[in-house]
Amino acid sequence: MKKTHSIKLPAKLSAKGEHEPAHQAIWSGTISFSLVAIPVHLVRAVEPGRISFRMLHTHDNSPLLRRMVCPEEEKIIPPEEIVRGFETAQGRYILITDEELESVTPERSRTIEIIEFVDMEEIDPVYYDHPYYLIPSKGGEKSYTLLAEVMNRTSKAGLAKFILGEQEYLVAVKSAEGVLSMITLHYSDEVLGDDDISNETTKTDNEEKNRIKKLIRENTVEYDPDKYADERSGKILDLLRKKARTKGYVKAPEIEMEEEGEGPGDLVALLRKSMGKVKKADD
Amino acid sequence: MAGKTIWKGHIRFGEFDLPVKLHTAVKEERIQFHLLHARDRVRLKQQMVCAVERLSVPPEEQTRGFEAGEGKYILMDPEELEQIEPEESRIIEIREFVRSSQLDPLFLERVYYLEPDAPSKGYNSLAAALMETKMAGICTWTMRRRSYVGALMISRKVLRLTVLRYADEVIHAKSLGLGKIPLSEKELKIGSDLINQLTATFEPQKFQNEHQKKLQNLIDKKARGEKIAILRPRRLRPTPSGKLLQVLEASLKKAA
Repeated sequence: MKKTHSIKLPAKLSAKGEHEPAHQAIWSGTISFSLVAIPVHLVRAVEPGRISFRMLHTHDNSPLLRRMVCPEEEKIIPPEEIVRGFETAQGRYILITDEELESVTPERSRTIEIIEFVDMEEIDPVYYDHPYYLIPSKGGEKSYTLLAEVMNRTSKAGLAKFILGEQEYLVAVKSAEGVLSMITLHYSDEVLGDDDISNETTKTDNEEKNRIKKLIRENTVEYDPDKYADERSGKILDLLRKKARTKGYVKAPEIEMEEEGEGPGDLVALLRKSMGKVKKADD
Repeated sequence: MAGKTIWKGHIRFGEFDLPVKLHTAVKEERIQFHLLHARDRVRLKQQMVCAVERLSVPPEEQTRGFEAGEGKYILMDPEELEQIEPEESRIIEIREFVRSSQLDPLFLERVYYLEPDAPSKGYNSLAAALMETKMAGICTWTMRRRSYVGALMISRKVLRLTVLRYADEVIHAKSLGLGKIPLSEKELKIGSDLINQLTATFEPQKFQNEHQKKLQNLIDKKARGEKIAILRPRRLRPTPSGKLLQVLEASLKKAA
């Protein structure tokens, strides 16, 4: 990864407003278990959603970009002019370079070392934070497939720690459909207890419990997450169609997107994808 | 101790009604850095910038558009979008039930602990019913002008509402287009044995965030003007495909 890239905001933050190509590597390195080392890269697993809007300028409908700006000069500051600072007092900073940051834990910044495996179902869901996918890099395909396959066979998840930028993450690596995903976990001291949540009534009404169990049995389905996404997007699509009919379209001025990572190619592909979805829904 | 109450609502399923309070379940406090302009150390702000004028655009000059073709947009006011959301009603409606093991961890966004808003037998009955059936209730609700889908689950005696990501927000594993590589049964067998050897009980308290302390050390050293030794990140040599079986065997021997 080039130096200028490492200070980029994590995908979790930048996914909020702007379109980004889906399979762009956020990080590259090695995942290891025991003596086996597999070259991999990390890509996003979460995207803004099928119907996502772009922020536009009301004046001329030109797209807006999320950028780091100097409030005094009112200028966009390019990545190579940005440094990281820790505030010690109002307006006083200690600067920390990428190299210094990497030196804090050099053994973990390029390696996801699986320390142990656990039964997938033992992980309390309250620990799950943000998911990513791991993709094999050149030469790692076979050992990657092996790890994915045996984790699947044994229903295990691997626990590892690794450093990305300023943070150290505890992660669970899991396997589904031949693909490894990596979910960041909260640390145990960040998970709040639920001991103080009590119900003053300790009695359970068995009759009511059995009635609920009956209701549960009668209303059990196979989980279909698409249903709920379609419900929501259906309404937005209806509204969009209505708006297109009554108000029509606006045209943005032609611009040259020189930004790396969100070149016109990727952007167009994304838009085609969302357009295709609208057309399909229109049929 | 559970976090603060962030919202109150009613879990509803047919005739069943249960008033609950939602408590946050996670609190993160980590060392924060700011991004500065190298030249004058002015703290930078993330802002929306016009792609044409290259200038910051104030919120009142920002609008949303759905891109319906290259450079072609349908404009949409935030108020219009809000109108299609169901009215804020305080109802967390259980729509159906699924086996809790069916919920893919990739979809789980965050958890709220539920506390009964008044002493209630209903809370205990629902908790016990979910526990005994190993089911989760799929719920929909509107909170602060946004529609949510979530899973009502039970952990020990406390009901939890887990916010789920919408299906179109999670990238499908299939779309990554990874190919299948044939493996020998021997490789798979030794690989499985190795994983079983390395299996432990999930004890998250074993893993502390040591990095925070080290980061604080680094900051203190820099504050004292000490020089920081630059260490190269450790890089592992990838296991060659041809040697995979050999390395697996060696790993198994080491683990035994």
